[in-house]
Amino acid sequence: MKTNSPKTSIRAKIRWGMIGAFALLIIAGCYDVPVYANRLIDKVNNSAHLGFPRLPEKNFNLGLDLQGGAHLVYQTNVENVKITDRATAVEGVRDVIERRVNAFGVSEPVVQTTKVGSDYRIIVELPGVTDVKKAIQMIGETPILEFKEENTEPARQLTVEEKKQLNDYNIEAKKKAEKAIKELKSGKDFAEVARTYSEDDVSKNNGGYLNYISQNSQYFTLFDTVSKMQSGEVSAKPFESTEGYDILKRGAERDGAQEVSAKHILICYLGAKNCDSPEYTKEKAKVKADELYKQASAANFPDLAKLNSTDLGSKESGGDLGYFQKGMMTKSFEDAVFAAKVGQIIGPIETEFGYHIIYKTDERISKEYEVWRIVVKTKTEADILPPQDQWKSTGLSGKQLEKSEVTNNPQTGSVEVSLQFDSEGKDLFKAITTRNVNKPVAIFLDGEPISVPNVREPILDGRAVISGAFSIQEAKTLSQRLNAGALPVPVELISQQNVGATLGADSLNKSLFAGLVGILIVMVFMVVYYRLPGLLAAFALVLYGALTLAVTKLIGATLTLSGIAGFIMSLGMAVDANVLIFERMKEELRLGKSLKAATEEGFLRAWPSIRDSNLSTLITCVMLIWFGTSFVQGFAITLSIGVLMSMFTAITITRTMVRFIVPWFKEKGNWMFLGHKKEELL
Amino acid sequence: MKVNFIGHRKINLFMSLSLFVVAVVALLIFGLKPGNDFTGGSSLEIKFTKDAPATEQIKEILVPLNFGNISAQTAGDGGVILKMRFINETEHQQMLTKLRENFEKGDLKVLEERFETVGPAISTQLRTRSLYAVVAVLLAIIAYIAYSFRRVSKPVASWKYGTVAVIALLHDVTITAGVFAFLGHYLGVEVDVPFVVALLTILGYSVNDTIVVFDRIRENIIRRSCDNFADTVNQAINETFARSINTTATTLFTLFAMFFFGGDTIKWFVMALLVGIFLGAYSSIFVASPLLVEWNNWQNRKRT
Repeated sequence: MKTNSPKTSIRAKIRWGMIGAFALLIIAGCYDVPVYANRLIDKVNNSAHLGFPRLPEKNFNLGLDLQGGAHLVYQTNVENVKITDRATAVEGVRDVIERRVNAFGVSEPVVQTTKVGSDYRIIVELPGVTDVKKAIQMIGETPILEFKEENTEPARQLTVEEKKQLNDYNIEAKKKAEKAIKELKSGKDFAEVARTYSEDDVSKNNGGYLNYISQNSQYFTLFDTVSKMQSGEVSAKPFESTEGYDILKRGAERDGAQEVSAKHILICYLGAKNCDSPEYTKEKAKVKADELYKQASAANFPDLAKLNSTDLGSKESGGDLGYFQKGMMTKSFEDAVFAAKVGQIIGPIETEFGYHIIYKTDERISKEYEVWRIVVKTKTEADILPPQDQWKSTGLSGKQLEKSEVTNNPQTGSVEVSLQFDSEGKDLFKAITTRNVNKPVAIFLDGEPISVPNVREPILDGRAVISGAFSIQEAKTLSQRLNAGALPVPVELISQQNVGATLGADSLNKSLFAGLVGILIVMVFMVVYYRLPGLLAAFALVLYGALTLAVTKLIGATLTLSGIAGFIMSLGMAVDANVLIFERMKEELRLGKSLKAATEEGFLRAWPSIRDSNLSTLITCVMLIWFGTSFVQGFAITLSIGVLMSMFTAITITRTMVRFIVPWFKEKGNWMFLGHKKEELL
Repeated sequence: MKVNFIGHRKINLFMSLSLFVVAVVALLIFGLKPGNDFTGGSSLEIKFTKDAPATEQIKEILVPLNFGNISAQTAGDGGVILKMRFINETEHQQMLTKLRENFEKGDLKVLEERFETVGPAISTQLRTRSLYAVVAVLLAIIAYIAYSFRRVSKPVASWKYGTVAVIALLHDVTITAGVFAFLGHYLGVEVDVPFVVALLTILGYSVNDTIVVFDRIRENIIRRSCDNFADTVNQAINETFARSINTTATTLFTLFAMFFFGGDTIKWFVMALLVGIFLGAYSSIFVASPLLVEWNNWQNRKRT
């Protein structure tokens, strides 16, 4: 036989097709469960020292019903807002909610506005949030704008009696924590002990379970301790956290967001944020920063920082900021650091704090740990005697603000935010500015200072400007926030869906198990009924499952419980194409055709039926996706991905495999093929 | 071996008709029990870490809070699902506090597993959207059927295939809904958005079963030139029978796996799919094809 004869070239094609199918299975499989693939790679690397790269560990986008969390829908009351201003007002509210949610520290929150008819709604999704009650409290308040002046009253000291009380309380707490440890050591279930001993609502009510925590979450204070523990380890003795005595149990580990470490030198200037004792004007600061950038090297960076940096927090440690993730630093700073290479010195980068020269020292994937916790709370001085506030209220708030706008200073051309008070506010503002000349007055939004301008002279006309190093965008955001604080746009919670993390994990496990059982039954059925081709279909089904999951992950579709239901159902439907083909094959074999001819005919004639039958399901899916609630979309998206994939695997993969094995048998096939004997007809 | 499906068509049609009538009567008398998605309301799933108190006791304790009619039902190990009118966040917290004050004792704790509340604005929106979705899917499916049967074939006009396919669909969907009318009346099973999704999925799925059988009828008419329409139909059913049964069986296997192992949340959603998909396969063999033959006979009788 010549190598270039058509028969061999077809055979070669089929062989390549088989290799392709296996390769596809391995690739899709690795992409679906990179954790297992990486474990294997690590093993190979350790024993053979080949240095295969690890795969990036991308997780499935799990819906709230599977990872626990809250889905909240707020209705905004825009009745009192002019129609033309409504969209802006709602955007302002959205912005505020987003900031509050970010402060709460859940990973990947979603805050979006939708307009249904004439209603403006805000949808908030908080995946993995454990304390929904607190989250709702934080979101629900209308933004509060306050003006405060410096507090000059001296602080009071603790009395002797109060000190004793404090001490006694903390000794009791320690005893209680030790008792809890004793119970744990005697073999009691952690969840049970947490319910009895833990004093914090979240851990108490969830059997201690906090889900995965990252350095960036609200539990960052526990992170260092947890990172040193082994999986399954329980603290041997209580450790003192900021809240009290903590007993921790560590679960699994997973990859979190990327994080970087950097050192920096800050040169701040007159007018920059938090610049307490400005030495430079903006221009001079830039010249100084340029100069430092030229001098800076990896070796002398810490010394330069100690000598020159105006960032008091990091100056002494040679400008070291430690590790941080996206969202922890101001935007322009963060962008610059993340874009730089490790070891690179960049600068000067301008932010609202001044000019930075940055030395990026490391970059890595952060870890997240699954944690259970029991906390016995202790008290500090601050609990008995609240810390002396630097600022005190003046009575002037967003209530008296009429309007805020973005303006340009006609002299310098810089961007400013102007404020206009109503008549009551005008009088108050006059009094405040009169007694605070040459002193700072702070503007607070939701309890956070957003701007601390110095009063230069008393302001009589109820107009004020906040000047500073604003970009247009920042000024717009600020003005939007101020307007949102000033405008009466109350929000009302009209729908909420909360799912506990344990229930979510439980649903996930159950549905995965159901899927496994389902696919096994289908595989067994196919093999028993259709014999050898059935075995091939069973393999195609595994490939089908891997591919469908891979595509779902690739396009970033959210996997919900209903989505898994759609996927599992599509497993059953996926073999439909194979059934159609094998039934046709059977008929053709019975008509006395050769195995090869029957195979080709079977595939060819089954195609119109396969196409038609899948099309109607796809039509329904498209309609359902358009229907639009998350339950429906989850189901419809995975079902349609499933249907498309099943056509692909049935037509190409099964066909290639059947073609591959056909030449192994004699012309009429044998018992491994259904319909090879005419008697079987009856 | 050849089974005479068409010969026994009168019995089959009568059976389906009776089921259909029972379903319609059930829907008229009991109606479907609409869930929170459509009426607005709240559902709170709590878990007692030790033995749960009687549901009556729980309801009694909540009476002073004035949440209207509260229904309580046990769910799994120590779980209780409470359903009531739409309550806001303050009321929600009040309720939890009340439950914890009354029942938490020592090791016994009350855990909140799930809370869902749907306000009137959202439920109205879901109702209209569901209606639109049903209408849109029906129109799309009818258009699809019209397209599939566009080529005229003798002795039965193509639009008749289409009409019969739609009748079979209505049969599947109505009986499924009827089952839920009974479930609602006797077991308190509610109908929510997932139920609508299940019905729509059944529409998409069951039509393709019918189309596969009809396709084969047309193919046989062309190949074998039709002398006896009833025989041709019977032949087609016999040829596609294994396929219909196997495909439906594999889908039902996976659905059964979900029904038994998939947890309570999607149980009734899966149940609706199970019933509908079974009926889809049943109706293409025992309803749609016999109806086609009946229609043809009736037409011929008129002519002679």
